[in-house]
Amino acid sequence: MRAAAFPGRLTPAAAAGRTVVYLVLVAFGVIMVMPFYWMIVSSLHTPQNLVAYPPKWWPRPPVLTHYAAALAKAPFALYYRNSLIVSVISVGLSLLLGLFAGYAFAIYRFPLKGFFFFLILATLMVPIQVTSVSLYILMARLNWIDTFAGILAPDLASAFGMFLISQAIKGMPMDLIHAARIDGAGEIRIVLTIIGPLVKSVIATAALILFIESWNDFLWPVIIINSENLRTIPVGVAFFRDPYDINFGPLMAAASIATVPMIVAYLFVQKYIIKGIASTGLKF
Amino acid sequence: MPGALSTIRRNHWHYAYLFILPILVVFGLFRIYPSIQTLVYSFFDINLVAKTMKPVAFRNFVLLLHDGTFLKAIKNTLVFAVFIVVVSTALGLVLGSLFTSRMRGSALFKAVYFAPFITSTVAAAVVWTFLYNPRFGLFNSILQLLHLPTSSWISSSKDALASIIIFSIWKTVGYNMVIFIAALQNVPESFHEAAIIDGAGGIRRFLTISVPLVAPTAIFVVMYNTILALKVFDQVFVLTAGGPADATTVVVLQVYKQAFENYRFGYAASMAFVLFVIIISITVFQYRLSRRWEVSY
Repeated sequence: MRAAAFPGRLTPAAAAGRTVVYLVLVAFGVIMVMPFYWMIVSSLHTPQNLVAYPPKWWPRPPVLTHYAAALAKAPFALYYRNSLIVSVISVGLSLLLGLFAGYAFAIYRFPLKGFFFFLILATLMVPIQVTSVSLYILMARLNWIDTFAGILAPDLASAFGMFLISQAIKGMPMDLIHAARIDGAGEIRIVLTIIGPLVKSVIATAALILFIESWNDFLWPVIIINSENLRTIPVGVAFFRDPYDINFGPLMAAASIATVPMIVAYLFVQKYIIKGIASTGLKF
Repeated sequence: MPGALSTIRRNHWHYAYLFILPILVVFGLFRIYPSIQTLVYSFFDINLVAKTMKPVAFRNFVLLLHDGTFLKAIKNTLVFAVFIVVVSTALGLVLGSLFTSRMRGSALFKAVYFAPFITSTVAAAVVWTFLYNPRFGLFNSILQLLHLPTSSWISSSKDALASIIIFSIWKTVGYNMVIFIAALQNVPESFHEAAIIDGAGGIRRFLTISVPLVAPTAIFVVMYNTILALKVFDQVFVLTAGGPADATTVVVLQVYKQAFENYRFGYAASMAFVLFVIIISITVFQYRLSRRWEVSY
């Protein structure tokens, strides 16, 4: 494959090698796509075609009855609204708090700076899977169980986002900040109108990564949410499933409703997501 | 003017503390305090309804040692982690090294391979409950068409854990691949050109140039996958709920069940603390090991 270092002079062996590489990549690509494809095709199958053997690869005729059944059984519009509320507040606040704290750690020198920085990053070492029990007890004391505040509590800030933004600010020339201070700009204004726009590509990367994580989050929401009208999409889908029901049509329709809009959105921004994740890694 | 300078500095202290205060309050309350309380609650029997806490010293930890389901959960979690880390990292490296930036359609391949990673684990696992269904599922239909032996997948205590592992590799391998592609593209082209002139073949170059030079990335990928695997919950909850007969139960699922189904919060906290100790010790061990391995070029 690296023989392409000398373009235009492919030996027969290199050409054969390249064909094999393509075949391997296509084969794995088919495996990657198959579950999505089968979800959508099954959601459109008639009940007979859904359980046909050999399997039917194309919905003929396509029917929407499973979608009607899924929408009658669960309020997906409400789930979408809840997921949007949670994700937008969580990502927005994480970025805003991360911008200010990231600026403070990048620019200022102040007592206990190293300690506070360590303290914030140390939270990455203790995942929600470890703290969920005691966090739940705290939520019970605050009467935050089964509320938006309770869902949001552990995700109002992001150490990962703050770290990314702080690193980006560190790489910027101090002259800009000095010049703005001489012009009489206050520190808050400097952060919002000068620093913010300058690190907007890092903020956008962090926003995409945090949004995906928040949108797909399941363990904490399923713990803290009791009532149906607060369910986010993953919680709604998990409870939509009846393990004893072998009619998979409505379930595939529900999964499609939950994932297809995200997949379409992903197709538009996938370049930035992949580039951002390749350059930053993900938070733990 | 030293006086003016120190005024500015003190002025900046105010801003510094003002700017980090919100994140410190949020994290202090909802992350750091619960982290400490996880250990504290491990030594109590907690009744949330009666609002009582009874100190029980080390009893929760002693009970853990005799809790067959919990020990099974630890074993399953470790088996799961080993398979995920080894297979998903190796497969990610092999797939990543097949990519070159000049290849036609490489952006499309990347997007396709990465799609499972950004999809909700719960929604994807729901789809796989259908694929895995012994009677109507796609996997058994294909095996039957090929005249191969079928499986009961998630319904059989023998194959259920393997089924969850296969799902999880499908879910994460694209992430590992993307990280390796980025690392491989940083390997200087001249290394490969020199090796080609010396007559080294593709596989030889992969093993002697690519693998050693992406070792630091491989360490990151291994550590990331390890932590992700030790925290596994969503796909187990959806695919098997820990069954059949605890064959697929994992530590986080046991924490969840003890706390939120059996209301044994102190006991669940002691399990969560054990999980924390496992995560920290494995991570530190891997990090120490990696320090001996560092490569520079």
